[in-house]
Amino acid sequence: MVRAGPDASGLSRCQTGFVQPSAAILIVYDHDGFRTFARGMLEAAGFTVAEAATGAEATEAARTVRPGLVLLDIQLPDFDGFEVARRLAAQAGGPVVVLTSTREASDYGARISSSPAAGFLPKDQLSGAALRRFLVRDPAGEGRT
Amino acid sequence: MNRALRAALVAGAAAAAGCLAWAAWPPTSQFAPILASMLVIGLSFMMAGIAAWQRWPSSRLGLLFTIVGYLYLMPYALVNLANPAAFTIGNLSEGIYGAALAQLGLTWPSGRLRSRFECGVVIAEYVSAAGFSLAGMMVWNPTFSGCPAGCPNLLLIHSSRPAWNGLNRASGLVGLVLTGVVLTLIIRHWRSARGWSRRAMVPLVWISCAVGAEQILTGGALNLPLSSLVSASLAPLVLLTGPTLFVVSTVRARTARGAVGAAVVDLEPGAPPARLRDALARALGDSTLQLAFRLPDGAGYLDTSGQVVDPARPAPGRAVTPVTEASGAVLVHDAGLGQEPQLVRLTAAAASMALEHARLQAEVQAQLEQVRASRARLVEAGDAERRRLERDLHDGAQQRLVTLSLALGMARDRAAKADPELGSLIESARKEAREALTELRELARGIHPAVLTETGLTGAIQALVERSPVATTITAVPDRRYPAAIESTAYFVVSEALVNVAKHARADGAQVMIRKFPGRLLVEVSDDGTGGARSEGGSGLRGLADRVASVGGVLRVDSPPGGGTRLEADIPCP
Repeated sequence: MVRAGPDASGLSRCQTGFVQPSAAILIVYDHDGFRTFARGMLEAAGFTVAEAATGAEATEAARTVRPGLVLLDIQLPDFDGFEVARRLAAQAGGPVVVLTSTREASDYGARISSSPAAGFLPKDQLSGAALRRFLVRDPAGEGRT
Repeated sequence: MNRALRAALVAGAAAAAGCLAWAAWPPTSQFAPILASMLVIGLSFMMAGIAAWQRWPSSRLGLLFTIVGYLYLMPYALVNLANPAAFTIGNLSEGIYGAALAQLGLTWPSGRLRSRFECGVVIAEYVSAAGFSLAGMMVWNPTFSGCPAGCPNLLLIHSSRPAWNGLNRASGLVGLVLTGVVLTLIIRHWRSARGWSRRAMVPLVWISCAVGAEQILTGGALNLPLSSLVSASLAPLVLLTGPTLFVVSTVRARTARGAVGAAVVDLEPGAPPARLRDALARALGDSTLQLAFRLPDGAGYLDTSGQVVDPARPAPGRAVTPVTEASGAVLVHDAGLGQEPQLVRLTAAAASMALEHARLQAEVQAQLEQVRASRARLVEAGDAERRRLERDLHDGAQQRLVTLSLALGMARDRAAKADPELGSLIESARKEAREALTELRELARGIHPAVLTETGLTGAIQALVERSPVATTITAVPDRRYPAAIESTAYFVVSEALVNVAKHARADGAQVMIRKFPGRLLVEVSDDGTGGARSEGGSGLRGLADRVASVGGVLRVDSPPGGGTRLEADIPCP
């Protein structure tokens, strides 16, 4: 089971009152409105959330925040999510990376399966529960947060 | 030559012929065969002369031919008039045609003498012929030659057979020397001539040699054993070669005219100017022919072999004929061709036609190229616009719908506990939003498949095949990226083909194969359905064929009724 200390990231905005343990999540979305919305949603689900709007910010934040999971939009203004996933995988003790997009997985063909990302989550299926399933399936982030 | 003069010349020829015919009558007389052959020779020269005069009005050749004919025929006609004065004049002028013949040979083909020396040779020919003739007449008694008594020689001063024989021998020797000189000069002319002139001189050289040989054998100077035999049978034949020379050269010119036309007609479209020059040179028999073009900056002319040409100052023996003002082209040819102004005009016209043809072809080709390029640009611009639309939908409406549906999901979760009815209401709103999202996604994919931009043909074809309602297998798809226009064309071929298979083919299965060959991409979609598809008419296949053509490719449809359909796009691809 994933355990994440509320102060693990130093950015703790953890809501109390949730039984489930929380993990630090880095969300990487280009679209400001959606990023704000997603943050609210995930924090409500008990996660500690950090944000990035570009690929460069994402790699930088991953180094400083050391999140357990990165939710990574494929379409970013500087370089795409696949490239960011590669760079994150190259970092020591890299986080679980979940790619996401408004488009469907099939729109990216084999690029998703051949990337080091743990999986793909369609944007409209975003929920705390869905992210937890990724953390369970790939416990790389476990005990590291 | 004016009509009156021509009529007079023809009448003179007819009169001379009439005289001879009368003298030779009846045909059984012993002189008849000789006189008949003379008649043929003389008339041939006269007729050839009149015709040559018409053909080359500016040249003296026609006049010379006519004079030779008259000088040959008239003496015999006069001798037979049974008039003392005519008899004397006839005998006096008997040998002068030989000098005219020498002049003809030396001035061929231009009709002009080339140097003072040659002028002197011709004068010597005339003077010796006239001098020996006059001297001979002073000692010649007509009975020496077997003339019946009563043929008075009005110039006779002292009848002397030895003097007459001596003069004959001397005249023969001088004649032989002069003939040798003339022959040498003619052969030198021929050797120094080039191109058209050289060709035009070939028959003259042969004929001159024949005449010279005949003179050596029969001139009496050498007293060869067969002289009399050769003289009787060969001389008329050799003389006949004169008019033959004219006929040969005329036929040659005619043939050349035909050949010029044929050469241009045979020239394949778009042949370079060098090929045109070769064809014209062959047709004219003038290997020295040059076809030169004005340089774009107006700084002179270059011929097809890259040599600089100055049309204002042609080299000696060369002449310039402009092709057309518009083309800025000129023909530089042997000056001898100037004898055939019609042929030169025809050649220039033929060259002009061929050049104009080539220019129009190049123009049409360029226009076609422009149209092709603009069509390709239009299609590419359309593709780019579709990609932009898809992206806009993705970044805008789809994004908002996603947020909306997620927010509705959260609202539903919160409301459900307090108010289940409100919860189900929000849930149905959320479902609507998701439906809208799905529809929008389909729409965006139809506008331009993101998977094609993202992954190229591999992923895009895979996605198409997965969505196809007919069981479809991919036999081959190269795992490489190609230019966007080629990828999208190949994609639309497969997409449209699979739509057709699902809609019309009633097939159990289909196959997609994309293979890369050097310089081209071959896209093939086949099914085992009912066949009978046609690319004509308003079907989607017509539009697909246009689309393939926009990148320079070809769409082939093989669809026999009952035999399945095979669609093949052959697309040029680097």
